[in-house]
This record gives sequence, C-alpha cells and structure tokens, in this order.
Amino acid sequence: MRPRRPEPHTLAGAYAMDAVAGADRARFERHLARCPACTRELAELREATARLAGAAAAEPPAGLIQRAVASATRTPQLPAAPRPAERWRRRRGHQPRTRTGRRPAPPRPALRARLALALAAVFLAVAAASGAIAFTTEHQLGAAALRDHQIAQVMTARDAVMLTARARPGGTATVVMSHRYRSLVLTTAGLPPLPAGHRYEVWLMGPSGDRAAGLLPAPHGGMTSPVIATGLATGDSIALTVAPAGGSPQPESTPVLMLSLTA
Amino acid sequence: MGRSEARPFTGPAADVRQLPDTDLGAFLGEVAKGDQAAFEAVCARTAATVFGVVRSVVRDPFQAEEVCQEVLLEVWRCASRFRPGRGSAMAWVTTIAHRRAVDRVRAERRLAEREQRATAHTIAYDEVAEAVQARLDRERVRRCLGSLTELQRESVTLAYYGGYTFREVSGLLGVAEGTVKTRMRDGLIRLRDCLGAGR
Repeated sequence: MRPRRPEPHTLAGAYAMDAVAGADRARFERHLARCPACTRELAELREATARLAGAAAAEPPAGLIQRAVASATRTPQLPAAPRPAERWRRRRGHQPRTRTGRRPAPPRPALRARLALALAAVFLAVAAASGAIAFTTEHQLGAAALRDHQIAQVMTARDAVMLTARARPGGTATVVMSHRYRSLVLTTAGLPPLPAGHRYEVWLMGPSGDRAAGLLPAPHGGMTSPVIATGLATGDSIALTVAPAGGSPQPESTPVLMLSLTA
Repeated sequence: MGRSEARPFTGPAADVRQLPDTDLGAFLGEVAKGDQAAFEAVCARTAATVFGVVRSVVRDPFQAEEVCQEVLLEVWRCASRFRPGRGSAMAWVTTIAHRRAVDRVRAERRLAEREQRATAHTIAYDEVAEAVQARLDRERVRRCLGSLTELQRESVTLAYYGGYTFREVSGLLGVAEGTVKTRMRDGLIRLRDCLGAGR
C-alpha cells in the first residue's frame, strides 16, 4: 500500500518519532494542518510509539513524583476553553449565591499569584543581598525601573513557566519564561567564582542564531540578581558561557549550562 | 557525556510497577482543572514510562531526571490540551516525553559539535541497540520489533531510542533518505498492527 505521492506524506512515521527537524518539520506540519488522513495516521502511529516508550519503562529516581507535584503547585496551567477559575474571575463582580444561599467556596489562590509571590520573595532577597535596593542612585532609576517593570511583567505573566537547570561546574540557574512577552528572567545560585577579568555571559541559541543576552552581574552571597533576556524565538535554548569581562560577539567557550526553552 | 558508564539499572525491569492506563485520561481531565491529587495519580501511572523513554534517548541519568521533571510539569501545565478523541492519554504523555528528550539530546549534540567539530556521530547503531535491548522488558514489543525487516528495525530504533533525525539515520546506516523515511513509516505501521492484534 505505497502511497502514490511520496512527499511529504511518507514523513508521518519519522515525524511520529520526532525524527523530522528544522525546515523538514515545518514543511510537514504545514502539510499536516490540511491533511486529516495524515492526522489520523499520525495518531495511530503514536499509539505504536507509546508502546515503544512503555517497553523502555524503568524505575524512576526516588522523589521524582514528589518533586514534580511540588513544582506543579508553583506552576500556572494553560487555560482550557472555559476554565472554572476564569468563570469565577469573570463573575467576581456580582458574587452569585448558590441555591442554598451561601456564597460559593472561594477558589484556591490563583497559582499565578502564588508563583509571583514566591518568586518575588526570592528576587527581593537576592536584590537586598546584592545591595541593589540600598544603593540605587537617582540617575540609574529610570533604566532600573524599566528593567524591574519588565521583570515583574514576565514573572506575573499568565503563561509564565519556571525551569531550573544545574550548571556543569556546579550551581543552578532558574529561568522564568513567558512566551507571551518572548522574554525570560534568569537568576543563578552557587556558580563557581571566575578568575579576574572574566564574567558569565548569557546567550540565546537556536535556529535564529546565537544572540548575546548580557553579562551576569557579580554574585552576592553566591546568588546573582535577576537579568532579563528579551526577543525569544522558537527553538531557542538559553546558555551560559565564560567570557572576557567585556563580553564577546560570539560564544567562544563551551557553555557551562544549556537549557532548552521549547515549551 | 558519559556514554557507557555502568548504569545502576537493576536487571530486567520486571519489578517496575506500572499502574494500568485505565483512568489516565479521566485523571488528566481533573489535572486540567488544577487538581493536584489527580496530578499525583497521573505521575504515578506515567513516571516509569516517562523516565524509561527519556533515559533511553538522553542516556545521562542526571539529565534524564531533569528532563522528566520538565515533562511532568508540562503534563500539568498543558493538561487542558489533551483531547481524548485524538488518541490515548499514554500516547499524549509519551509524545511530550519523547519530544523533550529529543530536544535535550540534540542541544547536547550541538554542544558536542561545538567542542569537537570533526567527530560528528561516533555512536553507532549497535550501541543504541545494545542499550535498548537491555531494557526492553515487554516481551510483546520485543517480539514485534523482531518481526520487522532489519532496515525497518534499525531505522525505528535509531530514531525513537537514539533520538536521531531521519537524515542522520540515513547517514548512519548509509541508506538513501527516501528509503529511511518509508522504512520508518512502514516499520511503525507494522509495529502498530503487530501490537494491536490480541492486545
């Protein structure tokens, strides 16, 4: 049952296994959008790949589930068509009563608000530790205020997602990312100190090329205050390299950390 | 990346407790409404599979764990996008897991290529196949994989468990790209038919 038209339908198998990348993938996805037969076939092939996955099942590391559940409490969810939380928000103005006359039970605190609170606490602690609050001079305030505004925007974005990664030489990076604002906020903790004349440099790397996204500020108490990177593009990863103190036009060293930002 | 270090894999994974797929879709529906208990249930039912497939592709156990965290969080975050009519809940979850794993391993390979531009792909089919064979605990899947032609099996194994693109697989096997594409599709269709019969 070989199809008459070899391209691009035959890619369904490869696509079901994520074996189609770059321009090939974009082309196939365009085809997929207007080919209901392919969509059906793909769904069936994915049942087969799910079995391949199941065949590889292995004891997960201890604590994996607990950590996932703990992170979930801090991570906002994508809205479904009409979400209960949103319905509630919409009608909050007139507080409807239930048939028994009581007010409906208040929903749990919005995850987004909790995420923002938790992160704000972390970032304030970092900012206080680095003296950023105490020593901001007036002429710096304009740029700093704008930057803080952008950071707050990302951290409270409805689609904000938090990712963490460990760096090769030790230390961790925490990223809060918003696709809506095409931006991310990065903090680090415990990165090894660098020799004089060197700094950690942030990069966005992906199909749109490698773009420098600024130098990490000097750490205080092992933590760096938040930096914002804007202009995220599809398929980007964030990377940290060790660079000369002035920064470099191209990533010259092997990144000490690389984290895929694909949602 | 350590390729062949002794992994703490505890023999045939017969003792891996995998709860049945039943109700997984229903639980996902609850997760979409923000139910954390349902999310825990989903994790309990999928963690072994998610970890297994991610580790097959990513290989480095530490990174595999990181990717698993991301996968489970994505399940939490995107649960509302699961459409029961379009396939099983397990297929939805494993699709997320595999894509994340592949993204990670390709980023790593880009890194490796930056480091040593010359040696592109030193990992051959045998190495991927060997690592996978040790883990295929489901007799039926193993048997069905065995029923494929050699080229179909190699193409499917390298793509799915190795995380290689069809173009890379073509290079690794020294077979035309068009041939690899069709073998991947034919191989998966055959697998599906084999696995589907008398489930």
